[in-house]
Amino acid sequence: MTDDLSLDLFEDAGEPAVDSVTPPTEAAPSMAEGTAAPSEGDARPPQDADEADRPKVWSVSQVNRAVRSLLEDTVDALWIGGEIGGWTRSRAGHCYFTLKDEKAQLRTVMFAREAQHLPTDPEEGMKVRALGTLTLYEARGEYQFVVTKVEADGAEGLWRLAFERLRSLLDAEGLLDPARKRPVPRYPECVGVVTSPTGAALRDILSVLRRRAPWVRVIVSGSRVQGEGASGEVARAIDRLAETGEPDVIIVSRGGGSIEDLWAFNEEPVARAIAACPIPVVSGVGHEVDVTISDLVADLRVPTPSAAAEAVVPDGEALAEGLGRVPARLARGLRGVVERRRAGLSDTLRRLGRGVERRLLPNRQAVDRALVDLERSTRGALDTRRLHVANAAGRLDALSPLATLGRGYAVARTDDGQVLRGVSDFSTGMRFSLRISDGEVVAEVLDTTTEDES
Amino acid sequence: MSDQATEDTPLEERLKRLEEILVRLESDDVPLEDAMKLFEEGVAHVRAAEKVLSASALRVEELLASGGTAPMDVDES
Repeated sequence: MTDDLSLDLFEDAGEPAVDSVTPPTEAAPSMAEGTAAPSEGDARPPQDADEADRPKVWSVSQVNRAVRSLLEDTVDALWIGGEIGGWTRSRAGHCYFTLKDEKAQLRTVMFAREAQHLPTDPEEGMKVRALGTLTLYEARGEYQFVVTKVEADGAEGLWRLAFERLRSLLDAEGLLDPARKRPVPRYPECVGVVTSPTGAALRDILSVLRRRAPWVRVIVSGSRVQGEGASGEVARAIDRLAETGEPDVIIVSRGGGSIEDLWAFNEEPVARAIAACPIPVVSGVGHEVDVTISDLVADLRVPTPSAAAEAVVPDGEALAEGLGRVPARLARGLRGVVERRRAGLSDTLRRLGRGVERRLLPNRQAVDRALVDLERSTRGALDTRRLHVANAAGRLDALSPLATLGRGYAVARTDDGQVLRGVSDFSTGMRFSLRISDGEVVAEVLDTTTEDES
Repeated sequence: MSDQATEDTPLEERLKRLEEILVRLESDDVPLEDAMKLFEEGVAHVRAAEKVLSASALRVEELLASGGTAPMDVDES
């Protein structure tokens, strides 16, 4: 272990600088040869004759330096597994804790430079493995484990823990509420894309957009998508794109990678930027199986960059096909209107139809056909209707009283046309008329007799 | 073509208007003259939308630090 790191540790602990208590290097006993105790080594031989008989006395500093060298030189970097105890993170970002098992514990330190890469702090008692080297903290004569990596047991360990912690935080704020999710427009004019300008994700997205909806305008807001500070960059790229006010929808995306590669999308800045974005956001990060915090906050989560592109634009071919059928539907609609208004329809329709043809349709075969179709079926409808009328007339004739009168019956009516049905309708001397098959006869009542009167 | 529709009318609006026109044409209470106008407007929207859909090249722009945009060179492979 280098002096630098010891110094860091030292200063952070508020102790005096290590140099002030460390003897000059050349005075330190050498233990590099594997000897277990201080030996003469290249220490200078005593000069004073009086001291020749006395035992060699080492300073504490010399011994600690020697033991430290012994530890550092004889034990290679190693993984040690154990439980976390007393994890503390100093203001400077150094992390101090102990690794324990049932019987023993080991003082451990992780300096800020490495600790900043931890997705989150481990929990008390969490089972971890740590990679590091053994060394001695000379000022205290304590031996310790200086680690560069801490990994929790189980799949994704600390990453999973960090994910869950941020998820609970955002959930508590209501940012994951399904009710917050806005619909993604079906026919955007402009699509914003936040991703690496040189990445495969952008290529995939553009290729899908080009195939499905070449009419859209795409604005790429480039950002690094992994590494130190990527999360903040992605967040700013989202903010800046939103500020233009141009896109109807924004894709936030990157291709697949390890959980570390995707980590920027699991960090708070990206989550907050998506939540605050006034434009609907679609998140397509990683491969099918990857779920990121950005996925959870976004208005729509899709599994990959390509899927994000497919989700934001319609399929142009299908849309064109649908549009191609619309003129016929329009014509059918118009025909319906016309059929519901039969009076004088044939003429008006032909006149209007010709007008439409003249004005709109010279280069539109589909509508042309639709109109011909329209005229033909309208004429058909007319003929049918005429037939109906003829039939109805026939039925009417059969029911007409004239036919009955033809068989010799007559209808008796008063002068004002009221039909006289019974004897009580007549009175002696009253004038009335008889309607018979070919005309009227005026008559007068001479006498009346009611049947069945007894 | 309705009074408001222009060359720049967004596709979404045209498609929405087309839906409205179809619904209206299929309703019972539209006068013949109106139906003719709707028919003509519908056909015009179809033609305009088809023109939009026939765009040949995707326009890709890059957001600049200034907040403006510039055409972006992209690998089409």
